Amino acid sequence: MDEHNPMRHFLIFVFILLIPCFVLWTVFNGPIAIPAIGLTHFALTHWFPDVVQALYVDGSHAVLMTEFGEKDGKMVPLLEAEYRLGFKINPGIVSYSLPFYTALHFATTRKEYMGSYMWGIFILYPLLWFGLVCICLKELMVNLGADFFNQPGVFVPNADVIGILYQFNVLIVPTLAPAIVWLWQSKDTTLLQVTLGKARIT
Amino acid sequence: MKRFISIFLLILVSLFTLEMLEPVQKHVIVPFTSLLAYLSAALILPFDETAIAYGKILQFKDTGFAVSIEAGCNGVEATIVLIAAIVAFPASWRDRILAIFLGFLAIQVMNLARIISLFYLGNWNMNYFEWIHLYLWPALIMLDVLIVFVVYLRYLSRKDGQTELAHG
Repeated sequence: MDEHNPMRHFLIFVFILLIPCFVLWTVFNGPIAIPAIGLTHFALTHWFPDVVQALYVDGSHAVLMTEFGEKDGKMVPLLEAEYRLGFKINPGIVSYSLPFYTALHFATTRKEYMGSYMWGIFILYPLLWFGLVCICLKELMVNLGADFFNQPGVFVPNADVIGILYQFNVLIVPTLAPAIVWLWQSKDTTLLQVTLGKARIT
Repeated sequence: MKRFISIFLLILVSLFTLEMLEPVQKHVIVPFTSLLAYLSAALILPFDETAIAYGKILQFKDTGFAVSIEAGCNGVEATIVLIAAIVAFPASWRDRILAIFLGFLAIQVMNLARIISLFYLGNWNMNYFEWIHLYLWPALIMLDVLIVFVVYLRYLSRKDGQTELAHG
């Protein structure tokens, strides 16, 4: 279909593939995020051992359990609490980069698909993990406040840094990173060579 | 490619940080977001008298369902990405400014379609609203940016070809 117009071919196929890729991702969203949730659990429990108890999978979401509790609507140390304080995290707001990249990748005519696709996922997954860390930092900052920032002997990033990192990793990275990886992997494809001609990004 | 990526990332991070500053939010982003809400209501009203807009909120008078247009829903981040890509790529400033202006229009047309579609979708089914709002529309907006940028590069390529022909 439209072998002579790679741009048209790309546009048709990207719109055809987008919905099925997102539907498949919705179905497998939970299992896809498990390694990133595990790595984030490891990073946060070692970074903030007195604040973070665990980050675990809960269906398609994750739950960030703290070392604090709640009693009569107030945050208190766990020993005085009626129950442990935890926050629901949605890894989907960073992991949707994967179906977007999948649609872009397979909509482009290229010599080889699976090897470069696996490389793309390999590049995007650490960004997904870092995005998840930023979401957890934001939740801890907003919900624990001073108890999160005042941890003796522990480096806690500045509130503005956490805010900007969170916004950047939620608003920009999940859509931009797949686009950059796709552009980089497609620079030798007919689509970019024919369409862009001399204006190629070299 | 490395040079392009470096300049692109530098401009992107600088503009994004600038956008997050409180005075910029107060004097530029919030008024612009409110304008989008009014524009959306203006587009809807001829067909549906139950829609109203106040501040950055769009609401149905009859059901009471409302959407608030927040950061990430106003197309500003997508515009920042496009500006960074266009400025990072070597071209004349005339071409760059024209591309930024037209690209901004393309993003905002798409964004108005996003706001209006989500407004109606949310009034009908919140589960679909959440899914399309959080995942599908952001991808479509970035696809819009990507297409605008590729079309711009194609324009530059053809322009260079014509210049070479004229000189040849």
